[in-house]
Amino acid sequence: MLVLCAKAAFAVILIIAGGAKLADLAGFAEVLRLFIGTRWPAPAYTCIATGTAFAEVLLGCASLSFPAAKWVNLLALIAGCAFVIVSVTGLALHRGRSCNCFGALSRIKFDVQGVFRSVIFAVFAVLAMIGVGPSAVRLGVTTQALLLAAGAMLISVSFAAAKALAALPEDIRRVRSR
Amino acid sequence: MTIPLYLAVAQWALLFALGLLVFVMYRQLGRIYQATTKTSADSELGPAVDTMAASFEYTLLSDGTAQHFTPGGGRPSLLAFVDPTCPACEQLVSALNAAADGAELDDFRVLLLTSDPPAYLQVSDTFRATRLEIGRPAARATQDDYKATSTPLLVVIDAHGVVRAAGSVRHLSDVRTFINKTTANTTAQGHLPPVAVSAPVSAINPEE
Repeated sequence: MLVLCAKAAFAVILIIAGGAKLADLAGFAEVLRLFIGTRWPAPAYTCIATGTAFAEVLLGCASLSFPAAKWVNLLALIAGCAFVIVSVTGLALHRGRSCNCFGALSRIKFDVQGVFRSVIFAVFAVLAMIGVGPSAVRLGVTTQALLLAAGAMLISVSFAAAKALAALPEDIRRVRSR
Repeated sequence: MTIPLYLAVAQWALLFALGLLVFVMYRQLGRIYQATTKTSADSELGPAVDTMAASFEYTLLSDGTAQHFTPGGGRPSLLAFVDPTCPACEQLVSALNAAADGAELDDFRVLLLTSDPPAYLQVSDTFRATRLEIGRPAARATQDDYKATSTPLLVVIDAHGVVRAAGSVRHLSDVRTFINKTTANTTAQGHLPPVAVSAPVSAINPEE
């Protein structure tokens, strides 16, 4: 049960993160610029940002719809490890900068909590690698199509939510009224 | 017919994620509505100008002593209703700190009033570092008297205890506009004229 929860949760996290990044590619490209030492033309960063965001949503959808596929779980594990590496590197080199991990959906920064969060995600990915009984993850084609459709819906909702949060300037967004 | 356990888990995870995102969007919708719509509450923010400011009791948070605020008394006052958990309030306190450091508030009695618990002051670097007086009103009636329905709220009271300006400001230029107008007219006329009632930031022209 725990394995299945971790598998589904990590897939959903990947989809939300990817969808939100797609809504703010420029912001994510700025973060990539921090990690790439050599100076490239701006469109190159945008291309990498787009590729990364699409890779995340595709991996998320695949992980959600094909829970029995070992190669998907392996890719998810690699992604989880990459999260940890990026957050640790960000903590060491760019502490306090926004990581744009979830676009405008969150204000996660490169800090100790961010590393802790990414370690939790990586643990989810590790748990997803543990084998489970075939009957628990045997899905029909229709069910897989339904999960893919749900994944696509989640991408669009996270994209819309991130766009909505980015629609107002930071200070207005954070104003607290009583 | 039994459904695979994974499907049951996955649908709950999807439902939770979708619910969370929908909540985020609705909350943002409310904020956009609030930011773009002038509500009746906005128009009632702050006390009316040309009325006598109310006196009140408060607790000085630096030492916990009970204090009494009496408007006027031959010295103008700046009352700032601010909360450490409110980012816009931090901006106003930073602006007031800068004005105080530049000796621009030497003629004023400046009092920051918060309704948050004292422990919350530690949350904000700005509030922790400020040298301005911070108090907590003893009764909710103080917020009602000053119509502090939202924070931040800056109220200017002249040397005779009359409210001369009130508004939701946060930038140094806006604070200076309040101060400059009041001090200029105090010198010219011997008392402070009305500046603005519930002036939104955008309505105050720093060039004036």
